[in-house]
Amino acid sequence: MTKTMRFLLAGCGTLAMATAASADTVRIGITQNNVGIDSYQTTYEQAFIAAADANPDVDVIVLDAGGDVARQISQMQDLIQQQVDAIIVWPTDGQALVPAVRNAHREGIPVIVTNSNIAEAGLDFIAAFSGPNNIQQGIYSAEMMCEALGGEGEIVQITGMPGYTTAIERQQGFDDRLAELCPDVVQLDIQPGDWNRERAQRTMETFLTRFDNIDGVYSGDDNMGVGALNAALAAGRAEGMVFIGATNFAVGYDAMERGEYWGSVYQSPVDDAEAALQTALDVLAGEDVPKLNYFDTPKITQDNMAEFDRPVF
Amino acid sequence: MLDRLKAGGPAIARQGILVAFIVFMIAFTIMSDRFMTADNLMSVFRQSAIIGVMALGVTIVVIGGNLDLSVGSMLSFATVLVVDLHDKIGPELAIPVMFLATLCLGAVNGFLVGILRLNSLIVTLGMLSVIQGLVLIYSGGQNVDIVDQQGTWFALFGRGAIFGIATPIVMFGLMALVFHVIMTTMPFGRRVYAVGGNPTASVFSGIPRSRVVFTTYLISALCVGVAAVMLGSRVMGSQNNVGQGYELQVLAAVILGGTSLLGGAGSVLRTVLGVLMLAFIQNGLILMGQPYYTQWLVTWAVIIVAVWLDVAAKRGRLLSPIA
Repeated sequence: MTKTMRFLLAGCGTLAMATAASADTVRIGITQNNVGIDSYQTTYEQAFIAAADANPDVDVIVLDAGGDVARQISQMQDLIQQQVDAIIVWPTDGQALVPAVRNAHREGIPVIVTNSNIAEAGLDFIAAFSGPNNIQQGIYSAEMMCEALGGEGEIVQITGMPGYTTAIERQQGFDDRLAELCPDVVQLDIQPGDWNRERAQRTMETFLTRFDNIDGVYSGDDNMGVGALNAALAAGRAEGMVFIGATNFAVGYDAMERGEYWGSVYQSPVDDAEAALQTALDVLAGEDVPKLNYFDTPKITQDNMAEFDRPVF
Repeated sequence: MLDRLKAGGPAIARQGILVAFIVFMIAFTIMSDRFMTADNLMSVFRQSAIIGVMALGVTIVVIGGNLDLSVGSMLSFATVLVVDLHDKIGPELAIPVMFLATLCLGAVNGFLVGILRLNSLIVTLGMLSVIQGLVLIYSGGQNVDIVDQQGTWFALFGRGAIFGIATPIVMFGLMALVFHVIMTTMPFGRRVYAVGGNPTASVFSGIPRSRVVFTTYLISALCVGVAAVMLGSRVMGSQNNVGQGYELQVLAAVILGGTSLLGGAGSVLRTVLGVLMLAFIQNGLILMGQPYYTQWLVTWAVIIVAVWLDVAAKRGRLLSPIA
């Protein structure tokens, strides 16, 4: 573990430090969701620290909530106490965090929400959101599905964990765009895979039993998509079946290279982290920052995959 | 009185799970023409093997009067380890190393609960988080994958077949039989029942209570190791949290099988029934095109009714004496 995390506890003479900090460096605190639980979040943290280290005018305090809402709220309070110049937060729970964000707002500290947005009630209190546009990702996946099937066919969908904003938004973007663009592509059923490859594999096995014909599979991320692919391969029915995912994982990238996987949406944790830091710096520089800052998450297919690096997760 | 069961009542209540199982199977067969097909049955058996093997071990822990909530993150640990080591030192070494490490975790559980006599709920709940932490430290948050998925003989455990039957089904079936024989005919089995049924009396009867409890946790860890080999081979990769929540599915199957959470009563074969019932409910509802929340609702409603019947059978009446 060679993380250069700097845990500064509230009250350790931080007031003195805050006043001592020269005017040209800014202090930014970040409280993350759950570093280490997946490769995306781990890479995000490393990229964030690297980006901050590369900028001599930035001093960062990197915290992690470990997936615990209560801990994240107290970390927010600590950062407010330390009078940092800006707070970046990756919400563990978009709803429960609203009061903490309001407190920071009241203290005059701008809050930048990263990766997953805060609940609507909190939007008035944040300076900006920086992250992927999951509805757009769903739209991209629908467009790829439509193109791959030539406008008609029967498909199934495997979604992420029910109730998660990311899962809901991707499904919404996909469903709406598909109906609009390709009314002749029929969705046979939609069931969750809980972001879990084994669970997605099980769901797909049942789909294969239930439907004699499946032309395409849309999965809420590549991890589940590869699970679905595994099931189809085992049943000897993967030939000609179109697999579209989102959040391109290394396994999805490799399957694409083998020609078994049609396409996905490329979302880089490095871009995500750098966009969050840049948004915070723009806010502090007094620039006119739009409320919703989406970083680009392009389509990746067998045709253009050479333009992208193999994902690190 | 309505709430008082007749003399034959408790016996019927005790068979409630079997009756419910048959009712569900008939209902699904009527409602979906794909349900009662050889392909589907085999597919569900294969899917249930991972949860099933873990449930066998947990059944023995629960009969011994304790709980094991750490099996979910232990599964993540074992799967990440075996998959990661597969490409580093080869499957023939990765599998024994994984079993050794997983048994060590089981020994920690066994030491804390069996020897130190700490509350098993607290210990294994704590170990649930401790082991998840170990997984994250080991993997650094990265997913692990087996590169050569087609060429490795490791594929046998999750994807292969023995005499035409999928390997996970064979392994699950064999282990269920062996455990059944151990628990019903061997001294060790009788000791587990005795320790779970009345710990004090068992000690006075000269049964080495600490050692018996310790061994039940080793068995549970062994089962997790087998499940990890099947899971890693089936998926050919592992997430850090792949087993998250499996502990509840496992416990649900054990309870559904009628094993008493108070210890001292239960059966390995009935756990198999519980495992299959949960798997068939999930499969049947998807085949019928029901949304996922129906699966949650039906699954847990069935479990709660099962617990009720279990308690009612012991009390000899359906409603509580106070009602």
